[in-house]
Amino acid sequence: MPDEIVLTLTVNGDKHRRLIPASRTLLDFLREDLGLTGSKHGCDVGDCGACTVRVGGVPRLACITLAAEVDGEEVQTIEGIGAAEAPLVAAFDKHVASQCGYCTPGIILSLSHLFEQDPAADDAAIRETLGSNICRCTGYTKILAAAREVAARGGQTR
Amino acid sequence: MLPLPSFQYEAPTDVVEASRLLSEPGSQLIAGGTDLLVSMKHRLFEPRLLVSARRLGLRGISEHAGWLEIGAATTLHDVARHPTVLARLPALAAACRTVATPTIQTMATLGGNLMLDTRCMYYNQPAGWRATLGYCLKREGTVCHVAPKGRGCYATHSADTVPALWLMGAEAEFSSARGVRRVAVSSMYREDGIAWLRLERDEVLTRVFVPLDTRRVVHRKLRTRQAIDYAQVLVAVAGPVSPGGTWTAVISSVSSSPILVEAASAAELSEAAFRACQPLSTHLAPATWRKKMVRVEVARAAALIG
Amino acid sequence: MSENDNRPAWATYPTHTGEPAEGGVLGRRDAKIDGRARIVGAAVFTDDLKLPRMVFGKFVRSTQAHARIVAVDVSAALALPGVVGFATGAELPKKYGVIPVAQDETAMAIGKVRYIGEPIVCIAAVDEETAHRAARAVRVTYEPLTPVLTIEQALDPKMPHIHEASRKPSNILRRVFQEYGDVDAGFAASDLVIEDVYEYPGSTHVPLEAHVALANPEPDGKLTLWSSTQNPHYVHRDVAHVLGMREQDVRLIKPAIGAGYGGKCDPFCTDIVAGHLARKLGRPVKISLEREEVFYAHRGRHPTRMWLKMGFKRDGSITAIDFKAWADGGAYASYGVVTSYYLGVFMPLPYRLENYRFESHRLYTNKPPCGPKRGHGAVQPRLALEMHIDRAALQLGLDPAGMRKANCIEAGSETCNGLKVTSVGMRECIDAVVAASGYAERHGRLGPGRGLGLAASAYMCGALHPVYQNELSQSSVQLKVDRSGEVTLFSGTADCGQGSIHMLAALCAERLGIEPADVRVIEGDTALTPVDLGSYSSRVTFMAGNACISASDRVRERLASAVAAKLGVESSALSFRGRRVFVTSEPERGVSFVDAVWLAEEMIGPIGEVGGYKPHKIGSRFRRQSVGPSPAYSFTAQVAEVSVDPETGIVTIDKIWVAHDCGRAINRTIVEGQIEGCVYMGVGEALYEEQRYRGAMMTSPSLLEYKIPTVHETPEIETFIIETHDPNGPFGAKEAGEGPQLSTVPAIANALYDATGVWFRQPPFTPDRVLAALSRKVT
Repeated sequence: MPDEIVLTLTVNGDKHRRLIPASRTLLDFLREDLGLTGSKHGCDVGDCGACTVRVGGVPRLACITLAAEVDGEEVQTIEGIGAAEAPLVAAFDKHVASQCGYCTPGIILSLSHLFEQDPAADDAAIRETLGSNICRCTGYTKILAAAREVAARGGQTR
Repeated sequence: MLPLPSFQYEAPTDVVEASRLLSEPGSQLIAGGTDLLVSMKHRLFEPRLLVSARRLGLRGISEHAGWLEIGAATTLHDVARHPTVLARLPALAAACRTVATPTIQTMATLGGNLMLDTRCMYYNQPAGWRATLGYCLKREGTVCHVAPKGRGCYATHSADTVPALWLMGAEAEFSSARGVRRVAVSSMYREDGIAWLRLERDEVLTRVFVPLDTRRVVHRKLRTRQAIDYAQVLVAVAGPVSPGGTWTAVISSVSSSPILVEAASAAELSEAAFRACQPLSTHLAPATWRKKMVRVEVARAAALIG
Repeated sequence: MSENDNRPAWATYPTHTGEPAEGGVLGRRDAKIDGRARIVGAAVFTDDLKLPRMVFGKFVRSTQAHARIVAVDVSAALALPGVVGFATGAELPKKYGVIPVAQDETAMAIGKVRYIGEPIVCIAAVDEETAHRAARAVRVTYEPLTPVLTIEQALDPKMPHIHEASRKPSNILRRVFQEYGDVDAGFAASDLVIEDVYEYPGSTHVPLEAHVALANPEPDGKLTLWSSTQNPHYVHRDVAHVLGMREQDVRLIKPAIGAGYGGKCDPFCTDIVAGHLARKLGRPVKISLEREEVFYAHRGRHPTRMWLKMGFKRDGSITAIDFKAWADGGAYASYGVVTSYYLGVFMPLPYRLENYRFESHRLYTNKPPCGPKRGHGAVQPRLALEMHIDRAALQLGLDPAGMRKANCIEAGSETCNGLKVTSVGMRECIDAVVAASGYAERHGRLGPGRGLGLAASAYMCGALHPVYQNELSQSSVQLKVDRSGEVTLFSGTADCGQGSIHMLAALCAERLGIEPADVRVIEGDTALTPVDLGSYSSRVTFMAGNACISASDRVRERLASAVAAKLGVESSALSFRGRRVFVTSEPERGVSFVDAVWLAEEMIGPIGEVGGYKPHKIGSRFRRQSVGPSPAYSFTAQVAEVSVDPETGIVTIDKIWVAHDCGRAINRTIVEGQIEGCVYMGVGEALYEEQRYRGAMMTSPSLLEYKIPTVHETPEIETFIIETHDPNGPFGAKEAGEGPQLSTVPAIANALYDATGVWFRQPPFTPDRVLAALSRKVT
């Protein structure tokens, strides 16, 4: 039985096919094999959210996802954000919602999923979503301000 | 970074094949992996073979003859947002939404939650930490640090969805190459932190059945932080079916198996629960405080039923 | 400028205190110039770097708290395919440490181990999994020694010395005793004396990025080291020292840092061992700590027992303070000598005090070393002091806010221990939070289970004296002006997320009339950037900011002289704003900034300037007071509103109002972020965070069990910026990154009293403790 597998994965629109150890996490595949280092090692055991990526559109913790378990899927990392996330990035920038920036890519991907589901997400939904991501710098105030601003604009364009 | 140990990997497409792979020593089923992979990084498990559940077709929710059938690999996120669950089984939705974090709920499965390993502050630790401790009875060691003079392992059952499912009268379907069996969720567990699950190693949890005519159940989870954390006390409470009937509670995170308590009134229920639960020092929060919280949480759940 | 200024010529410059923002940049809410890169994951952190032939180092760590190392057997590890080498402590025998008088640490243990988790050996392998497996295969044989684990044991002369070379009678790193005025007379003259004991727990920083180092041996024998450090300069010095290299042969680069909060102020085993192994193996070596190891690297808040006695007059004035503190410092000194002073020296701020005595002990125990955590050494005593103030106000029938304001020191005064206070916004801070929270109307009137609490505090803006004695610049900035108009700013600072990159760009832009985004900041690279002592003691805005203004003004003089000659006016007649240099009285007469650069280059030559900062010596009355004096002090007041669940003991913080005198906000949004980050950490220390031990074992070295607040536990924070324009700060700025840390926990403790009638003297205020206290109160 193989302890290596052939992985086929579409990452940020680019298709990759690689022979990898079965024990490779998605996070290490992205960082080490593809050089996509925007997803971070924070705790490595699913507590902090710094490794959050989207698989089939859904947020996942890449540090406790086997690359093998997402074979054939489409993955979006922070490097793959585009027009859909631009308002979020602009709001984070404006409110200085990123201090050291280590947690921020994961937060952007968590929130981008939320706003895709509900462009005018209310405060409770924003807070519930942010429960997935630890930020040790900001006290969340500026992150909440940025998210609320995006939600307010999402509400207007409805 | 904290690496995983190496292992082989198979993703079979039918349950019989999965069961055959699981019958071999050193093999382990992986569904959401949110607890398993953490435990593997901590070297609590070093399986030779991981058998993936992802191609077994176990995702999805449907209704049949008064039962909701939930595929075991359905994520907690999907369970919590299913219209029938929200309308008819709100305590199950609530329980799913208290697991860890929203992101983990998109990964973790209902089946995985039912099969969640028992937990303890001396067990759920990195390999080096456990080596320094001299390991523990549950894994690699000979002494239980919770109760050094005790007879067994007291790691606690900590699965957030189980107390509610138990009270709802939910059933679980296990399949193997030898056939299929369906058991009440209430009969799956036993009071042993090591052998806490009544299960053969080749069995795959395939579906969870929840009766839709269930009594109203209230789920409560006491924890330090409203995200990430496991429960310090976990309760589900159901009121009487008819006036004057029995009040029922299932309490978890205080012992290796959930504890069922029945009483004639809401007030008696919380006292009975307080007497029935004897939490030990498996958590950082003191056991004496957790015991008091059993009474409070059961009373508050009962009050919500009214 | 101060009358007793004795700075060298290079360090003298105008600070532009209180000037209007001529360049139009100051006080704005700009996005950070490096913000986008961090948001979209493009900022490169040390662990993101990868070099060809790179191998990975993994430490074997002690499983014993205090033991002799009898034998280390690496044979099984070396037999594993993929293992390329190892290093032991004995290969790196030179001791190091940031504080020259207390260098007691080696990169890995030599001969004996002093705490569980101390590195002993480092194994290098071609991948992390192999290195991890190999490290687990190393067998260490120990001969256990009696561990010293508590304050009592550390003070006990019968216990073994953790550091054998110590000549102290017990495990004391440093005892500090200072006395000012006549303390006994002060107590004799008092109407009320309050005396009590407080226990402040240990806590740790938890930067989301672990400590990481990557070392590359260069072909010419030199070494390049990338390190996630707050203090590139000290790491540079110590790595060269331990590796026996000339400092000039080591290039230390600090990439983006995933925060520090004081936890990355020391040189770590990662830095030194990566450098050593890279040279030994002749290939790049990366060492990334696992989360568990970050807890062992620690350098967090000292668990501190405190005894505080204060005397008061009926009017609330303070007649005397007698204070004793015992800090459980762990196995190595780290910054502990400084801690021993910081525990006491800030107590005479911000309230008038003539008679003051303090005695502190910084102790060694067999636990991971404590060090500087945000608000270093001053957080613990502030809890005791601010609770005492509230207790006195209650007993004297005074309004706690009014009593604090009435006793507040004045700008231009000197404390009894010789701290010269140049600007004070304390009263304005108290007024702001009292008004916003309705404290005057609501304190004491919210009913059972709900409460409001007030606390105030003061903190330093960098240390007046550098840790190693010299007359050199403490911060330096170099500017290069390109013909394109781009200004490149080189600085040895280390932005850990606090925004110092933007601060430098903003100050430079303000003086040159350009935009912050026109300034490219290169920081923390010893090959490129002039020395800055680092991101600690809340010194960067004040010191590097002043150095930046110095360099910017020199560039400005050059540009101005060229433009003045061209326009036929005096240099002093010119203004710099809107990317133009123009005649102030005739704004349409002028040239673009780019044209000004061209003119200056034609007239003078290529444009590059250097500026430095060194605080002027403050003529203190007390020669021995070398730790504590700062060029300026910041002030904070906070009100916390809490609810207590009487059945569970769970405390909820409903809201915190915070006002901080930062001197002047260079960027208002960034200043708010620093204040709010402090409050957040205070909430964690008040309710959740404690570095707990089972014997000598840390019980919770994980983000699951060491409970830092999530968004759900973080209260609403309303922030007020108070500006006092300090005469020596850059445009009057002081600090914002640490000061607000001091008053959060006491505000919460005072609010808990308001809610419950119980003085909680031991954080964290966990539900079991609160419930137990409430039940004791009832019975």
